Amino acid sequence: MLILIPSLILFLTALTLIILHLARPAFRYGWMVAVGGTMLGILVVFFWQGRMPLNVSLHSWRSSTLYQEAISFHGDGLTWPFVLSLSALALTVLFTVAARSAFANPFAWAGTLSLIGLGLLAVTSANPLTLLLVWSAFDLAELLTLLRSVDGPSASERVVIAFSTRLAGIGLLLWANIVSISSGSTLEFTSFSPQAGLFLVAAAGLRLGVLPLHLPYPSESTLRRGFGTTLRLVSAASSLALLAHIPAESVNSSFTPFLLFLTTIAAIYAGWTWLRAPDELIGRPFWILGLASLAIASALGPNPTGAVAWGCALILVGGALFLASVQHVWLNRALLLGAWSLSSLPFSLTASAWGTGRYGIFLPFLIIAQALIVAGFVRHALRPGGRDSLDAQPDWTRNAYPAGIILLLLIQFLLGFFGWDGAQNLGYLPASIAASLLTFGLIWATPRLRLLNPVRAHWVKPASSWLDGLYRGLWGLYGLLGRLSQAVTATLEGASGIMWTLLFLALFISLMTQGAP
Amino acid sequence: MSAPVIWIVLPFLAGTVILFIPNTRVASIVGGVVTALLALAALAIPIDTALLLGSVSFKISSTVQILGRSLLLSAADGPILAMIYGLATLWFFGTEAAGSSGRFVSLGLAIISLLVASIAVEPFLFAAPMLEMAALLVVPLLVSPQQKPGRGILRFIIYQTLAMPFILFSGWMLAGVEASPGDIGLTSQSGVMLGLGFAFLLAIFPLYNWIPMLAEEASPYVVGFLLWALPVFTVIFALGFLDHYAWIRTSPGLSNAIQFAGLFMVASGGIFAAFQRHLGRMMGYASIVETGLMILAMVVKSPLSVEITFMLLIPRGLELTVWALGISVIQKSAQPLRFSSIQGLARTYPIAVGALVLAHLSTIGFPLLAGFPARLVLWEELASQSLIYAFWILVGLFGLLTGAVRTLAVFVMAPEKTPWAWNESWAQSVMLGVGVIVLFAIGLFPQTMQPFLSSLPALFEHIGQ
Repeated sequence: MLILIPSLILFLTALTLIILHLARPAFRYGWMVAVGGTMLGILVVFFWQGRMPLNVSLHSWRSSTLYQEAISFHGDGLTWPFVLSLSALALTVLFTVAARSAFANPFAWAGTLSLIGLGLLAVTSANPLTLLLVWSAFDLAELLTLLRSVDGPSASERVVIAFSTRLAGIGLLLWANIVSISSGSTLEFTSFSPQAGLFLVAAAGLRLGVLPLHLPYPSESTLRRGFGTTLRLVSAASSLALLAHIPAESVNSSFTPFLLFLTTIAAIYAGWTWLRAPDELIGRPFWILGLASLAIASALGPNPTGAVAWGCALILVGGALFLASVQHVWLNRALLLGAWSLSSLPFSLTASAWGTGRYGIFLPFLIIAQALIVAGFVRHALRPGGRDSLDAQPDWTRNAYPAGIILLLLIQFLLGFFGWDGAQNLGYLPASIAASLLTFGLIWATPRLRLLNPVRAHWVKPASSWLDGLYRGLWGLYGLLGRLSQAVTATLEGASGIMWTLLFLALFISLMTQGAP
Repeated sequence: MSAPVIWIVLPFLAGTVILFIPNTRVASIVGGVVTALLALAALAIPIDTALLLGSVSFKISSTVQILGRSLLLSAADGPILAMIYGLATLWFFGTEAAGSSGRFVSLGLAIISLLVASIAVEPFLFAAPMLEMAALLVVPLLVSPQQKPGRGILRFIIYQTLAMPFILFSGWMLAGVEASPGDIGLTSQSGVMLGLGFAFLLAIFPLYNWIPMLAEEASPYVVGFLLWALPVFTVIFALGFLDHYAWIRTSPGLSNAIQFAGLFMVASGGIFAAFQRHLGRMMGYASIVETGLMILAMVVKSPLSVEITFMLLIPRGLELTVWALGISVIQKSAQPLRFSSIQGLARTYPIAVGALVLAHLSTIGFPLLAGFPARLVLWEELASQSLIYAFWILVGLFGLLTGAVRTLAVFVMAPEKTPWAWNESWAQSVMLGVGVIVLFAIGLFPQTMQPFLSSLPALFEHIGQ
């Protein structure tokens, strides 16, 4: 049960916050309850060390012979860094929210803790059934949250489109499960059929917006730093965790180079747009897209530790950057530790990124994408002033806020050395050195080359023009099929419909009886 | 007292009495209470077992004789009766919330009792006239005396009526098949007759075009009730055939034909649903997909086929109740129920729209919702037989998903600055809320359906062997 305790603590804390707020609106220690619960959760996560692998199965779900699988959770050296990263993110959100104007909102804190609780369940899911249930809960929660936060028909439509791509991802995962069953495999990730492995990659890629390239999130959402960052990062983590479960034999398929090609394009496109984004919040979807692309490339390597490393970097480095809303010179400089975490240099968080994978001719392009992302990160971390200052805040806020940011930085550092399969790794030095040199070059060139300068916010569009063309083509095909369906319907439901129906029936029977004795 | 009197005659009489209650709310409550009591009784009172109530001992016998035929409800029928009357309770309590008339309750009770009689009658071939009578009783619900019947209603009654002679005729031929099993000509003729009868009854492609037509021209709540009740009992009737006649189960040609018909219904229903722009028609096509899944479940080569079929029946009732009620609530502000009229209604009817969309997602098999466990089991069983079958199910469900996403998009595309409002009445909100909670409860805890499924192998002991 140890594996479920962090999630349960977060859910219980969220419930307590809601009850307290409804029963005693004047209660002043809600924030401390939230922080206390989250700290306890992190403490339990550290207790996992030495007890892994952890397993728990809720057998009551399959009370009969009907169900071949049960809801199960699994914790090991690949899931632990995700769990730790998400738990730390929860605490950082609570610490940094203290410095923002919309501080006293227990519902937002409860929402954050619940989302992260669901995220923990997603990253520890041991089989597709469990992951399907958690993804669905998460997607419904995200749909409701976003629909409440947007206004206008086109923004609402984009929320539904984002939801539909998530549903398609769920469908692909379900199909992977079915393919695995048809080849006689058992239903745990650890023994998944190789034939189904690429469907798992496609499911994660679709949900993350990498395969095919699209932005799954409506960029005009009004959810900004605290809750918005949680929603985006936890959502990405819940999909990225799947990449650690891809069977190595699956990627020996002839489709793998094609998927790697698409992933590389997505990584470069996202890295380029992230580098030139006017600010980190506008660029946030491209940060997620870029690092998710690198994670998928690692999974296709096959290099599961690399995929986990990129996933944790997405949460920890991105979390620190997006949650830093206050101007603080030393903190801005401390954020640069994130560049180290992203560099894939020895003993960094992402040291295992290029280690064991086979990327062929795509490796140089992936390194370019990595350099673009790191250079963009440095630019956004060292952004000019013009924000609120901590000086006007009360003493406890001045302490809590930096503590939150530093926590994420410490965890990045810690994961380079301790606690999981990718720790204390030297990595692949040629790749990491090349990426670092390229990053320095880009940082040097950014103020000097107009091409690399930030662009205005309004042009940051969700997809490139050739993809627009592809989607328009698909829409045209849909329209054509729609007209065909209407023609069939009009025939069958028209005045002569019964005659047509009987004709079809006769055809049907003759077809079916043709082969019969 | 006998079981058929309690679960067939009493509800019929209650329906007749309710016909004279002018107040819809009272009729709805009385109808709901009657069916709830019948459902509880089916769960609590064992049939054919002596019971001691204080010093009084009594036993509910299982059989009653009428016109030389017997109506038999055994102890194994208890869970089915509880399921049927439990779902009917939801339909009848929702009558006022849906804006239907009190006549819906009275005729609905009569229809349910006739349909229960169809599963109780011995010899079971006499179920066909019962089903026909039930179909005839639906007509006054679908069209008022002053109204001219539409094309969908006419087709519905034509197809249901055509089914009866085919089934009765095939029953007569089946007796011959049993006497001389080697007569291949007679066997195939009776197989075709039987297939045609059930094709009309279950509205198998291409005989299902009355469903979307009816869903467009009649009250969505009544159509929802019809799409729940008739196929459920027809499936139970069909399971009876499969159980009685070994050659139907063992004939590979017939079994393949049934499986092919089911797959075609799932795929074609889903594809047509993807292009619909009318809420009622969307519900109609979703019910076609569900019927296709039930047909597949009946003939899937697995010892679990009966359980899977019934696992599909329970969520179907719930989904259609919530879906039809949701449409009925919205209908007051959106006539006709086309996409052009319903745009942006999520902000003015959030509960009805939410419930409707969740019911739609449940029919797709969205995880967490009631439809998911049954679809997962069926899909897994079919995949272990053939990945092609599983693929066609995927096509059908993807079509339904497209329809759901389009519906949701239209609902939420409200003009800018439209405030959120709550226009549902308390009764509507409570009914929809209860429906949604049960959808989630079954999806999250499918083992709650286990008491209803445990006795089924005793009812259809030959299927799945």
